[in-house]
Amino acid sequence: MKTRIWILLLAGVFLALAGILVIQKLTAKPAAVAEVFVDGALVRTIDLQTDGVYRIESDRGWNELTVRDGKIAVTAASCPGGDCLKFGWQNSGAPITCLPNRMTIRFTAEAALDGIVR
Amino acid sequence: MKRAAALLLALLLLASAGCAAPKTLRQQTIFAMNTVMDLRIYASDDSLLQEMTRLLSELDHELSATDAGSALYALNQTGQAENADLAQIVSRASAISDETGGALDISLYNASLAWGFPTGEHRVPDEAELAALRRTIGLDKVAVSGDVVTLSDGVKLDFGAVAKGLAADLCREKMENAGVSGILSLGASIQTVGTKPDGSDWSIGVQDPEDPSNIKLTLRLKGSKAVVTSGDYQRFFEQDGVRYCHILDPETLAPVQSDYRSVTIVADSGFLADGLSTALYVMGFEAGVSLWRTSGGFEAVWIADDGSVSVTEGLAPLVSGAEAEVIQR
Repeated sequence: MKTRIWILLLAGVFLALAGILVIQKLTAKPAAVAEVFVDGALVRTIDLQTDGVYRIESDRGWNELTVRDGKIAVTAASCPGGDCLKFGWQNSGAPITCLPNRMTIRFTAEAALDGIVR
Repeated sequence: MKRAAALLLALLLLASAGCAAPKTLRQQTIFAMNTVMDLRIYASDDSLLQEMTRLLSELDHELSATDAGSALYALNQTGQAENADLAQIVSRASAISDETGGALDISLYNASLAWGFPTGEHRVPDEAELAALRRTIGLDKVAVSGDVVTLSDGVKLDFGAVAKGLAADLCREKMENAGVSGILSLGASIQTVGTKPDGSDWSIGVQDPEDPSNIKLTLRLKGSKAVVTSGDYQRFFEQDGVRYCHILDPETLAPVQSDYRSVTIVADSGFLADGLSTALYVMGFEAGVSLWRTSGGFEAVWIADDGSVSVTEGLAPLVSGAEAEVIQR
């Protein structure tokens, strides 16, 4: 009787710990996703594994985003300086930003770089 | 049976202790100080993130030279202000100016206006105009007494070369007091705080001035460090085939013309790193190396216009991704 209780208890604890580990692994896994924010609000989530072209519009203007080969770039924009176009193709690291349009593309994937001094 | 139950309870408590208040990555992007700021911290809730967002907005409001409601704008208009924050910034910037032979000059706002950098209405002023502006420029026309800052001869201040560094310092202090680690990207200023949860080094890319979509090199840093880059590719305009960058030479009142595309400074203080990155870009390579050899307190990376990289010896073991000439002390 005693032995059976012990086995049950240990099995329970083992299962609980294994569950925690699995959850941690799953949540830590990089997701190849770009999140697009306008004025700090999330307006679109884009899967970087699927090629495509997206147009992000707001009162301030528009940005055309292109996804290709797992990376994303701003490929056209209404902003006067076009600085957002210069970020090029990215899939990690610091966000791509368009200051005039207040548009930001952030990567939820585990970044290879923690930050970029620009 | 009782012992078994107690043991189980202890094990479950142990297991749950690790999950009670997990420190997870929390992010916030804000627009302040004329740039995009990305705050990423490892915390158990959003309160510190919100506190830092408020702080950055307040600093933006107080230290903007263009915002008609700011404390700096009022100082520039009236020529005098009693404000401990402004007085402290002026004093600290003046100290860096002294150390760099005047290469950092926060009194250049009138010249910057003449070139149209604050307004975006870029133009090339002629020499006569710049010569006339000379009398409204110079830290000798700026006095600090206690908390009172006094400007004479129509001098106007611009904190663009130090404000983000100051912001980084203030945020770092808040994070360290709360025992929170993370990384703050404040435009061209990056501040790392504490240790990453996995114990690895902070990995900071330095942008390639020739191709901003590329990373020229990577710095691997431990603990809390400020990393700031100044370069000719960040804000500039071109006219008649000449590139005019936003960093003005206090001697000529014109944009710096340099054989170097960028200077990156790594230091403990954001304010110092921010101020020195501008100053060293103005000073040029030789004078910058000389300053590093005599004063210390910072490390530097230069990227020349032919793409070559030079790093001070303290950073050499931390650089990857590019061949670099190592400058010995």
